[in-house]
Amino acid sequence: MNNAFFKKALTLASLFVLLLCSMGGVAAQDTVTLTWWTTSGRDSPEPAIRNVIAAFEAEHPNIKVDVSIMAEGAYNDLMSTAIAAGEGVPDLAWYWSNNWLPQALDITDRLDNDPDISRDIFHTEYFNNWVVWNDMVIALPYDIGANFVMYNKDVFDDEGVPYPTADWTPEDYIEIAKALRNEDKRRWGGDRPRGPFRALWRNMGATNPYSDDSTTVEGYINGPESVAAYTWLWDLVDSGATPTPADLEVLGTEGTGPVDLFIAGRLGMATLNPGSMVSTLEAGVNFGVVPEPRVPGNENWVHGWALRAGIWKNSEHPDEAWEFLKFWNGPPGQRILMEQGLGHFPPIPSLLAEYEDADTDWFQGFLNVLDATQTASWRKDHPCWRGAVIRGVRDAWDLIMLGEIERDEVQATLDAMVEPGQAALDECVPRLGG
Amino acid sequence: MRIDPARLSASEQLRRSARQRRARKLVGHAIIYAVMITLACVFMLPIFWMASTSLKLPRELMAWPPEWIPSNPQWGNYAEAFGKYPLARYMLNSAILVIANIIGALLSVPVIAYGFARFNFPFKNVLFILMLSMMMVPGHIKLIPLYVLYLRLGLIDTYWPLILPAYFGSPFFIFLMTQFMRTIPRELDDAARIDGAGAWGILYRIIIPLCRPALTVVVVFTFLWTWNDFLEPIIFLRDYESFPISVGLAFFQGRYSIEWHLFMGATLVSIIPILVVYFFAQRHLIGGLAAIGIKG
Repeated sequence: MNNAFFKKALTLASLFVLLLCSMGGVAAQDTVTLTWWTTSGRDSPEPAIRNVIAAFEAEHPNIKVDVSIMAEGAYNDLMSTAIAAGEGVPDLAWYWSNNWLPQALDITDRLDNDPDISRDIFHTEYFNNWVVWNDMVIALPYDIGANFVMYNKDVFDDEGVPYPTADWTPEDYIEIAKALRNEDKRRWGGDRPRGPFRALWRNMGATNPYSDDSTTVEGYINGPESVAAYTWLWDLVDSGATPTPADLEVLGTEGTGPVDLFIAGRLGMATLNPGSMVSTLEAGVNFGVVPEPRVPGNENWVHGWALRAGIWKNSEHPDEAWEFLKFWNGPPGQRILMEQGLGHFPPIPSLLAEYEDADTDWFQGFLNVLDATQTASWRKDHPCWRGAVIRGVRDAWDLIMLGEIERDEVQATLDAMVEPGQAALDECVPRLGG
Repeated sequence: MRIDPARLSASEQLRRSARQRRARKLVGHAIIYAVMITLACVFMLPIFWMASTSLKLPRELMAWPPEWIPSNPQWGNYAEAFGKYPLARYMLNSAILVIANIIGALLSVPVIAYGFARFNFPFKNVLFILMLSMMMVPGHIKLIPLYVLYLRLGLIDTYWPLILPAYFGSPFFIFLMTQFMRTIPRELDDAARIDGAGAWGILYRIIIPLCRPALTVVVVFTFLWTWNDFLEPIIFLRDYESFPISVGLAFFQGRYSIEWHLFMGATLVSIIPILVVYFFAQRHLIGGLAAIGIKG
């Protein structure tokens, strides 16, 4: 009897195990798990990230998202390692380094044939300049940013200086900086620009360091508009109203502009970014936002950017990854992040209009900045700008920054940059294109 | 009774000379202490600044004149920092990694070093040089092959990639320990052998007890390197809750700004275990370093 009982029990147990295995098999076939690497910050805190994923999984019960949330400073090393290894790259990831773009899946057809999402919902310039590469859409934009001038209203009121307006000129900038300078309070009027041929240079008419067809440096680096822009920089440095590179080395926040000095009221104006607006708001500082100054009649330029999330070209689940990508970067995910994050600015104009501070002066100033022409529209098709030619130009920049040349030596200094700049361009174009 | 003026003068001179020596010694000590206290203050300044910053509001961070002791200390910064990210969990993770690595180093390093120090076998010198040459290879070069290796072994997102290497011995520690063991007289081995001890008995009863200074160096350095390691955890770990504190601190550096006041508070707390370990181990550590001959 005992033997018969054990035989029956064994048979039943075997059947049960077989049933479980078959159920597991069915579940495994039906459910796809995507891997997704992202970073966490004030704009996208960990709970908000998980809430977006939960909302997505509720809509797509057959897709699970295995998210890895990592520190901003850790992401580049990890992604570079995985891409170099050629395996272990997640289905979805940030592709913010240009070196990674060849690894991203071309999603042009998916985007253009999907009834749920359209490229028209995104800010046109940010879309075209940041997620279109070699005529392919390789990602979707996320969290746009731009440089603009923030001014501390309390500092202006303290010194009795009127606030700047959107139509101010580079000369106004120097005069205001001088008026705000206060040695007793160890306060500077404004900061210095971070490099040549960015938005401010273009606002002064010095559009490019070389010709559009990437053949000629002569007349661009040392053209009259470029000389005028560099001379303006010389005047700004000479005014003593700005912190020196050494001051900023000690007091500036690494890589993000001198937001801490600005918040402390030791810098009346500073060229900062959306994240700085959030920090300044949190610190309770009364501030305004204006575009970088411009010579009247010139086009209005902005140095802007967008992060981009994409699908790995070797992903085993590109269809499911696309479903998640369009949810995360589309209105459903962006709305959650905008509402639950701090200072998350979606690249979707209709969503930006819903931002909780949309009616404030500073936010309207920010929106105005976004509408200017982006420097990236030229730079993305001219990789030798940063890769080679800028190195030659940088010498003139440094000489002025360190006060090592006189005002009347600016032209000669730039003339001397033509030959090395041309050589750098000639070497670079066959290599990187242009 | 009259005292001979000449003898009085001599003894007075001796006393005066002794007083002068004492005074000179006192002045010498005072100068040495003044220099040491000044240097200690200079070296403590960054930690003091860190503590001061951790108690400030964002707008006070760069204020002029700087407030070394905040008039309105923001103790809540610590709670905010620990509430924002699971830092306590990260510190526990670091402690687990440290303990596992120390055990691994203590198990592997003495055994391997003992082999090199006490035994002769074919290609011993070649193997020793090969091992030393591994010290010259920058860690970054090994990162991608290791990533592929651990990925294929299914060990990514586990602590094994951060622990396993310690159980195979660090070339640096093996070199140190080998050199240290070579200074221990072989006569002690012979005496133990006469008393019936085998190779393992000699290692555990004679060599290891005499290697305590070198082992302290291994323990303290393993602690420091594991606690501060940033690169390997970010490559091999994925789970948000599994990071060590070195990676956890990096969360305070955002895309556009650093929350200095929270970052400094969290960093200050994170260095406490290192300070505690150093405080208790410093006597052995300094003795060990002196015995091995490491400088700097």
